[in-house]
Order: sequence, then C-alpha cells, then structure tokens
Amino acid sequence: MRFDDMTEAIGNTPLVRIDADVHGLVNIDLYAKMELLNPFGSLKDRAALQMIRPLLTGARERGDTVVELSSGNTAKALAMIAGMYGLPFKSVTNRMKVPEVKDLLLLLGAEIDELPGQAECLDPTDTEDPLSRMHRTLSAHGSGYVHTDQYFNERNVEAHLHGTGPEIVKDLDGRAPDYFIACVGTAGSSTGVARALRQHDADVRVIGLVAAKSDFIPGIRTIDEVHEVGLFDPDVYDTIETISSDDAIDGLLTLVRRCGTPAGPTGGGAFQGAVRHLRALDATLTTRKTAVFIVCDRVESYLSYLRERRPALFGRPPRRFDVRSLTADEVDTAPAIDVEEASRWPGLIVDLRNPHAFQALHLDGSINIVDELFAEMLHGGLPFGRRQPVLLVCPVGEKSARYAALLTRMGHPAVKSLAGGIIAWRDAGGRLVRD
Amino acid sequence: MTDSRPLTLTPRIEPSLQSVLDETELLHQLADGLGSPLNIVLPGALAANVEAFRAVYRRHHLRGHVYFAHKANRSSALLRELATTEAGVDVASLGELQHALGAGFTPDRIVATGPKNRDFLGLAVRTGVLISVDSLDELLLLQKSGARVLLRLSGFTSTGVQTISRRSRFGIPFDRLDEALDRCEEIAGIAYHLDTIGPPEKAVALEGCLAAIDECRRRGLPVWSIDIGGGFGVNYLADGAEWERYTTELGQAVLGRRAPMTWNDHGYGLRNEAGTLRGALGLYPAYRPVSGPGYLDQLLATPAPEQRRPLGELLLDSMIDLDIEPGRALLDQAGLVLARVVSADGEIVRLDINAGDVSLEEHGVLMDPVLVGDRREDPTEVFLLGNLCLESDLITRRKVTLPARPRPGDLLAFVNTAGYFMDFSATRALHQSIARTVAVSRRANRWTWCLDDQYWPVHGGAS
Repeated sequence: MRFDDMTEAIGNTPLVRIDADVHGLVNIDLYAKMELLNPFGSLKDRAALQMIRPLLTGARERGDTVVELSSGNTAKALAMIAGMYGLPFKSVTNRMKVPEVKDLLLLLGAEIDELPGQAECLDPTDTEDPLSRMHRTLSAHGSGYVHTDQYFNERNVEAHLHGTGPEIVKDLDGRAPDYFIACVGTAGSSTGVARALRQHDADVRVIGLVAAKSDFIPGIRTIDEVHEVGLFDPDVYDTIETISSDDAIDGLLTLVRRCGTPAGPTGGGAFQGAVRHLRALDATLTTRKTAVFIVCDRVESYLSYLRERRPALFGRPPRRFDVRSLTADEVDTAPAIDVEEASRWPGLIVDLRNPHAFQALHLDGSINIVDELFAEMLHGGLPFGRRQPVLLVCPVGEKSARYAALLTRMGHPAVKSLAGGIIAWRDAGGRLVRD
Repeated sequence: MTDSRPLTLTPRIEPSLQSVLDETELLHQLADGLGSPLNIVLPGALAANVEAFRAVYRRHHLRGHVYFAHKANRSSALLRELATTEAGVDVASLGELQHALGAGFTPDRIVATGPKNRDFLGLAVRTGVLISVDSLDELLLLQKSGARVLLRLSGFTSTGVQTISRRSRFGIPFDRLDEALDRCEEIAGIAYHLDTIGPPEKAVALEGCLAAIDECRRRGLPVWSIDIGGGFGVNYLADGAEWERYTTELGQAVLGRRAPMTWNDHGYGLRNEAGTLRGALGLYPAYRPVSGPGYLDQLLATPAPEQRRPLGELLLDSMIDLDIEPGRALLDQAGLVLARVVSADGEIVRLDINAGDVSLEEHGVLMDPVLVGDRREDPTEVFLLGNLCLESDLITRRKVTLPARPRPGDLLAFVNTAGYFMDFSATRALHQSIARTVAVSRRANRWTWCLDDQYWPVHGGAS
C-alpha cells in the first residue's frame, strides 16, 4: 500500500467476527466493523473528510478557520486534516468532559472555545441558546470560518452511505446483515449505513442505541439530545434502546480483554447493546442470522473517564509512607510549636503551600516544597537527615500536622508543625517577606 | 412514546415548612383576615442555612463573610433574624442599606454592591460600610473619601481552552486593573460575580482574582479577601426522575409527538424546526442536587485551570479570606405564598393572585403548588390563571398537577418562594393589593404569627 497522504488510509476497515464463546449467541454470527482502525482513530475520519473536502479550496484561498461543534472524534479528525492543508481549526463545545480529548486537541493545534453555562438569574426573554447564536455567526458570509456542521450536514450521512455501508455488504459476500446495531451520536453513521444496507435488503433490522437522560457516554447522545440533531430521523430505526455508562464500560472491558479490540466506550456500548438485544431473539430463531455493530474509536482517550467510574480497575498497592494511612490519634499528637517559639526556630523551615503563594509572601529563610511534591518525596523515605530539625508550615497548621506525624512515624526525632499555620503567624503580626 | 400519567413536579418540602402547611386552620384564618395573596416567611429557617455554608468553610479551613444578598427578599423579619446570626448583608440600594442598618447590622457586616447613585454612595461612605466598586467612574467618585472598597472585576481571560462567559454589565475589566489600582490608596478586597451556573467560568474568574491580589501585593497594597458573589442556587424539586420525565415530554410536545402540556403550546424556549428540536430550554434547573452549600464545596474543590490546585487550597495558601453573597440559597425553605381559589371549571382554575405576586414564570421555576388541607382524590391537571385583566397573566404557563380537584375557597401554597419569587416583581397594577407578609415562629410546639414589620427576634429571653 503506497499513499500520497494519510487521508487515503481512511476507510476499508476490516469486519471481524466476534467469538461465540464471548457473546454466547447460538444462532447469530456477530461481526464488529473495526472503525477504530481509521488513521486518526475513529469512524469520524470518514465524515470529517467527506464534509471538509468541498470546502478546502475556498478556505485556503480566503485563509478561513475550519470550525465544528464537536467535543471529540470529529474535532480530532478535522484538526488533523485541516493541519495537513495549513488551515487553523477551532472546536466550539459545551460538552467536552473528557480531559484527554481536550489535551489531545490542544496538542494537535486546535483552538477550543467552551460555551457559557446557563444563567443563575434567568432571563426568560433570552430564548436563544449560545449554540444557535454561534451557529449564526459561523454561517455569516465573510465570517472567516468554514463550518462543517456535522449535526446537519448531509455529507456526514453520505460518507457512510457510500463507504461504511457498502464495505459491510461486500465483506458479507454481497449480503446485508439481518441486524445492524449502532450508537446514535450525530446519527450520520447509523443513518448512512442503514440506508445502504436497506438498498440491498429492505428487511434489515436497525437498532439505535442512546444514553439514558442523566447518563454520560462520550460520543452517544441521550434520549433527549438526539432530537436536537438535524440528521436524526426516528423512522430510520426499528427500535431505539437505552444503554447506560455501566453497560458501555462492561462491553468495553469484554472487547479489550477478550477480543483483542482496544475499543472506547461507544464500541463497548454497541457491543453490550447488541448482545442484549440479540440474546432475546436468539432462542426463537430457527435459521442462522448475521448481525453487525460498529466499534467507533479507541480506548486510550478515555482513561480518566474509566478511572472516575471504575476506580477498582486501576487499583494500585498502597504506598509505604502515605499521610492517608495516619490515624486520627497520630495527627492529633503530632509535634507542634506556636508562633512565638517558631520565631526562634534554628533549623530548616519547609513551606508546603503552592509556589505562587510562597513567592508572594513567606517566612524569611523558609524553602518551598509544595505538599503534593513533598508527599511524593516521602514515599521514598526521609528527604533529610535525622539530626536536621525541620519546621513544617502550611496555611492553618492542618496539613503540616499530618506531615509532621508522618515524619515522626518515619523516625524523625526533631520535626515540628507550626500550630495555626502561616495565617496564625500573620495574625500575630509575624514578619512575612517577598523576594 | 407518549406517556399519559400526570406530569407531577413535587416540590421539596423540609419538615419545618411541612409543619406550617399542616396548620390548615391557621392558614385559612390568616388568608381570611389578611387577604389573598399572602406571603409567609419562616425566619427560624435561616440560622441552619447560614450554618450549612459555614460548615463548608470549616471543611476547607477558610474564613470570611457570608453576606445575604438582600435583593432576594425584602422582608424585615428575615433581615432582623439574620442580624442575630453571624451573617452579613449585601445591599444594592439606598433603601436596602437603611433597612439593613435598621435591622441591627453594624457597618462592618454590610457590603454595598450594584449600581449606586450619589445618595447611596454618600450614606455608604458616611456609615463606613464596605463598597464593592463597579466601574472606574465609581472609583473616581470615591477617591479620597476614605471609603473601604472592594474592586469588582469582570472580563477574565483563560489560556489554553477558551472559557467563554456572557458579557456582564458589572465590574471593572480585568485588563484595566492597573488603571484601577493607580486610583486606589487602599483596597479591602477583590470581587467578582458571574451570572452562570457553570463552575468552569467561575474557576477562571477566581483564578483571575488571585492574580489581581498578587498584583496588589506586588504594589505593596495588602489585600486579604476575595468576594465571589452569589449564584449558589436552590434545589426546588423532591424527585429528579419527575424533572427528567417532564423535560423529556416537553420536548416531545414541542415536536408534536404528544398532547400539549402548556398554555398555547408554549415551548419554554424550545421550538420545532423541521422535526428537529432547536432553541434552549429557558427554565431554571429546578432539580439541582448540587446547590447552595454543596455548590460552594464543589467550586472550592475544582482545580484552578492554570495552577491546577483546588481553588480552596489556593485561597488558603495565599491566606485569603473568602466572602460570599448567597441570596436564594440562604432563603431555602424560608417562605411560601398562599393564594385563594376563586373558581374551578374543568382545567381552568382562577386564583386571587397574579404572576407578579409569585413570579415563578419570570424566573423559570416549575413546581406544583400544594393544596392546603391534604385532600387526596384523583390527581388533576389544571391551568392557574391570575387576577389581572390581561391575557398574559398566568401563574404558570405549565399545566400543574394537584392531588385533588380544587374548589372555590381552597388555598394553594407555593412553597420555597422566599428567594426572589414572593415580592421581587409584585406591583399594584389594576389597584390589586400587594400581598401582606407575615412571619411565623415556632413557640411551645405551635406556630405563632405576626405581621412582618412587627417581628423582632428575641432569643433566650421572655418575649
């Protein structure tokens, strides 16, 4: 395979059979369309290319910025394609909840604008949402932007009508599957694939998956939000079912651990939703059937999402010296001295506050080791000798007491905490300096 | 997908407020004697609300003032009761300042905010209350007056991800801080207030204030406090599932997929464009599990966008006191509005109250009223019409659900309305009377009442 540029690597992803031992279905062959193998990491590569292609020439002539309302994969793909053509990219969003995606976009050179939250004191005459207002600005002629408009752009559907859908039919030896299961985000892929499959066989059953209203699965709209999507047409789907973030993570773990497929939560949700839907039908079947679901993207961008919801998955052995392992009694009896005694302290003074606050004002002669860093140092053992007296300083004497207790437990005989902290020091008229 | 069960939005009612609602006879006597509508306030609810905020301060080891934003309610009873707690008060007019001084607040517990005319500024300077300065012009007026000032800033910028905020009419632009500091000999603190429920914007603003304090200290101006304003919010509903179901069904109604749920098919900001839902839901998030003190706690735990340490720890590290100005959050469960049913015919119920007397619609808060007397038959969905001769005078455009069919003479109670709803927009239009306000207090296991301006708190002594 020799290509002129990376966009040529978009599409033609494999259709991989899922082992029956994993899904447990007897009469149904379940296949995954491996969209995570697209070069920029997701299914959205196809739509991004399809939408931006006709805009490129004009945008380059005018020096326009490419802009999209996206909090994830579409933004990622557009940022990379725009970059290849020397165009700036801006993502406007109020839904960017996954920090890795945010960081990745910044790394790719994208600009990110976060929309304001709802007003606390409501103005009922202001019925226009920030998105609509943004939309109007972007669409104005001569705005300096080209807007790919993924939620309304028919080319988003076409990418799958002419690409993803026909590829599935070709890989199933010219036949459409009996069931197609898809998560609904922009509705572009589910609509396009469903249309392509039905052109082959009008009886294909299409199952759309959405998130429960109060839930959050990156890349999937909730049952309410799908109605805000221009491409969404309820008639495309034979049924619409709800999946939870728990389902999505369960499915993700199965794909990652059993199927050699590093899928993200959308792929996990599609797998779990597919198996749940098909299991009910499986027992009633007398002939062999085929089902296809889409693995949209990769797992790596969702580590913090997973850590937040399933901390147990990331269990690490407890550290040797950790303030969290102290008893209340140890903290209460930590050695401390008052402001008066501290003013005559002969030894080392360690200020545990943040560097900014330290630089602004601190005790003369003290050194700054921010508490997070100090904690890391103590995991390895004592960072100073036992004969070196140490006074610990924090804002109110609460953190310093805990570290004094920990150092005492580690065998340091001459560590003290400043009771009441630097605030007590200030209130007593103690001298504070700034360098 | 249509769902025909009644769409209830059950208000959250804590035991103390519930025990007032249970006094059917007393409520009827009050409405008979003082007329409908009638505002009832519960000064006894305030101390616990102040304490809940203080508990968050303790958890973060922070100090500072909790100022009640007076504009949320004009009751004297509430203000006089607050004066007996450790809270201060935020006043935004000459009248409010006079009221606060008269209610027993000493000047060290008062901060003057908002637009100020010369009379207001004059009394503020004379009495020595803290003045939250809103613009460079105002700062000029106060030069050499000896006033204690807070600089209210706005227009904070973020790096990396651009956090966009709506433009505010208040505050000195952050990029003109130098000019402002050039006009100050002394400042007591830095302030911001953003009208948003989004914590990321507040995090950007708070970090901006920290930078401003750093600049003050660099210039040798010792500044030890940041006032972050209000906007902590209240949770009005008992059940999140009801709220979710209601808002889902509202979208379906706007799309024409179910029977209308509102007067003239009002969409509360949503509209149907070719089968797609557009616009924004112009409603207060009435179910808000994280609100009031919980919201403050969450904000303090939010990492600062640049320094990445939790905001609460940054304040503490820099020895900065945190001042806040909650309005409705301090009045949670502290009041209700009574209205009498004039007539009930089918789905139309006429009340002796108008939309200005309980401005739920104006503030976008949806919740069902309580039918006083705890009658339970079949849940009934009705529209509530007001007493003004105006097409638009609906108490709420939403069809509300009552536990039984209302009858003329019944009383409906709109609960938890002390914050902004009961008197903020009340008018004498059409010579309709403005609601009287009574304060109720718990004495010897029963509720006693007096007119609002007759209420003086007496603690620990004979009354």
